[in-house]
Formats: sequence, structure tokens, C-alpha cells
Amino acid sequence: MEFKDNIPIYLQIEQYLYRQIALGELKAGEKIPSVRKLALELTVNVNTVQRALGQMNDRGILFTKRGEGNFVTEDTELLNQTKQSLIDNELDNFVQNMEKLGADGDSLVSILEDYLKRRNKENE
Amino acid sequence: MNDLLKINNLSYKKNQKTILTNVNLNIEKGKIVALLGENGAGKTTLMRIIAGVAKNYKGQIEVNGATKEAERKAKLSFTDGLNGFSDSTKINEIVEFYVNIFSDFNENEFEELSKFMKLDPEMKLSQLSKGMREKLVIALTFARKADLYLLDEPFGGIDAMSRKKIINSIIMWKDDDATILISDHFVNEISTLLDEVVIIKNETIFAHKTADEIRESHKSVEGYYEGLYEGEDD
Repeated sequence: MEFKDNIPIYLQIEQYLYRQIALGELKAGEKIPSVRKLALELTVNVNTVQRALGQMNDRGILFTKRGEGNFVTEDTELLNQTKQSLIDNELDNFVQNMEKLGADGDSLVSILEDYLKRRNKENE
Repeated sequence: MNDLLKINNLSYKKNQKTILTNVNLNIEKGKIVALLGENGAGKTTLMRIIAGVAKNYKGQIEVNGATKEAERKAKLSFTDGLNGFSDSTKINEIVEFYVNIFSDFNENEFEELSKFMKLDPEMKLSQLSKGMREKLVIALTFARKADLYLLDEPFGGIDAMSRKKIINSIIMWKDDDATILISDHFVNEISTLLDEVVIIKNETIFAHKTADEIRESHKSVEGYYEGLYEGEDD
């Protein structure tokens, strides 16, 4: 994975793992790879991975079993919230970009509806 | 604060020419830190002083509590350019030398590292490419069990694959408590690996920042470093 160098890496690792969880690559209750394995996979410092996992533990999205490692929470509501916040992030970017192009408020809804209709037709 | 390396008021002259003045630097245990600066800024000199190779400096240096040169040397592992060995020396002969000299040199660890680096112990120094030679230097350095590892420009002029191997070996072999200082005049290839950067400029420590601190101000580590030289003649 490529990191942006102007955003703290630990935040980007968190985002990366949230995505993995939201996409179901890491499932509820599943053990996540070890700190060193993640560090190697992402070519980052072990300290940085630990910081990201520490934050995710604080938020309850991961939990630690002593001597066994880190696991994804089984709290469905928290998992749904995580997914929703990723969706919100994508929508934020989308809306901001559309506003720059002059599409806002009601027109944005109709533009999107129109686009989805055209897209469905093309795929038929 | 759990500082592994403490440098107080260090100054160093060579042939009456000032190389470093009033250097003060503290580095915490367990960190990976880049020592950056232009060629000739004094990065290698600072490493040689910390390692106890360059002498006659003024000031105090402490490595995990040890201030005397001999005690300090026992706590750190410094990449040696292998300059003392002739070109016909085989890798396993160098290993033998290391085993005799350093009581903390772990042969099993070296074997693991050299397997990872794909080094053949029967090879002679003259047969090694620049990248392989650097991989050998890193393997020898990490095979010692030290508190502080000083890697002097490990990425200078080597190919991308060797670089990747060396970076991965740092991630795999670094103990949680071990501290690593890496000098380079170029930062982007290792920026994701760093906890902190130390910049040597104008004969002293010009800046010392955490990588997160730099990125939180929406700058890249590379951009920050280059920005320190803006407006100066090349």
C-alpha cells in the first residue's frame, strides 16, 4: 500500500484496517495479522503499527487477548458505525467535488438520480 | 524520559577545521531516527564520534548510561565499511573475525540474516556488487545484540531490490527496545519507517522533529527537509 507522506502514517494504517474490516476482508471476531507482519506488509515501523492498533483498541473496534494478539470486535453496532463513517467520508469528498462543479442542494440529487439511470441502462 | 542516547555540548575539530559545534541531542529508547544533512555536513563524523572511532572531541556522550568509550562501544553496533579487509577475504572469514572481536555477535542470527539477504558465505568481497556489500554490512551489524545501531548511509548508490531487502531486515530484526540511527542525504525512500528526523546543518543539530509532528502540519518529511534549504544557493 502507498502512503501519503503528508498525513501521519498511524492514521493511514487505521484507515486501511477500517477499510479491511468494512469490506469484510477482516471479519468480526477474527484475529488480525501480528504487528510485525503488518509492519512488513506495509513497510512501516513496528512502533507506528502499535500506535494505530492502540487507538483502535481504545475505540473498541479491536480488542487484545493477552499473548494472542488483536481481534476484530464482535459488536455489530460498532462495526456498522465504522462502515457508515467510511461511507460518510466518501460522500464528503463526493459532495465537496460536486459543489466545486456547481452542483449543490436539490440539483445534486437529480443529477445523481439521472446518472444512476443512465448507468443502469448502459449495463443492461 | 527514557533516553538511550544523550549528547551534551559536543564539539569536534579536525585539522583545525570545525566540523561540529555545540551539538545537543537526546534520543529515546526504541526509536528509528534518520540523521539527515548534505554531503559533508558531518553525519558520518557524528556517528564515528558516538561509536568511539573518532576521538578528541569536546563534550559528553552517553549510550544507555555508559559514557566511557569502551563501555559505549559494547552497547552499540556501527556499520563498518569493511575497509580493513582485503578484496580476497571471504564472507565466512569476516564472520570469524566478528565472532572473535564481538562477544555479542550471534552466528545463528547472522546465518538467518544472510539467508534473508541471499549472501553466499564462500563469496569474496571482490565478487560483491555494491548492493550485496551493503547487505553484508547490515547483516553483520544486526547480528550483534546491541542497544544502539548506527547505520551510516546504508542506501547510498544501491539498487531498489537491495534497498527493499535492507528496509525489510530493519523491520524484521529490530527488537522493540533497540534504537536505530540511520544517516542519509535523501529521505523519501525511508520516510515511512521513521519515528523522528534529526537534521545536521551549519555544523550543529539544526532541527529534531517527530515524523508525525511534520505530517500533522500537512508537510511531507521530504518537503520539510528540502524546505530548510530553500533560498540557499546550490
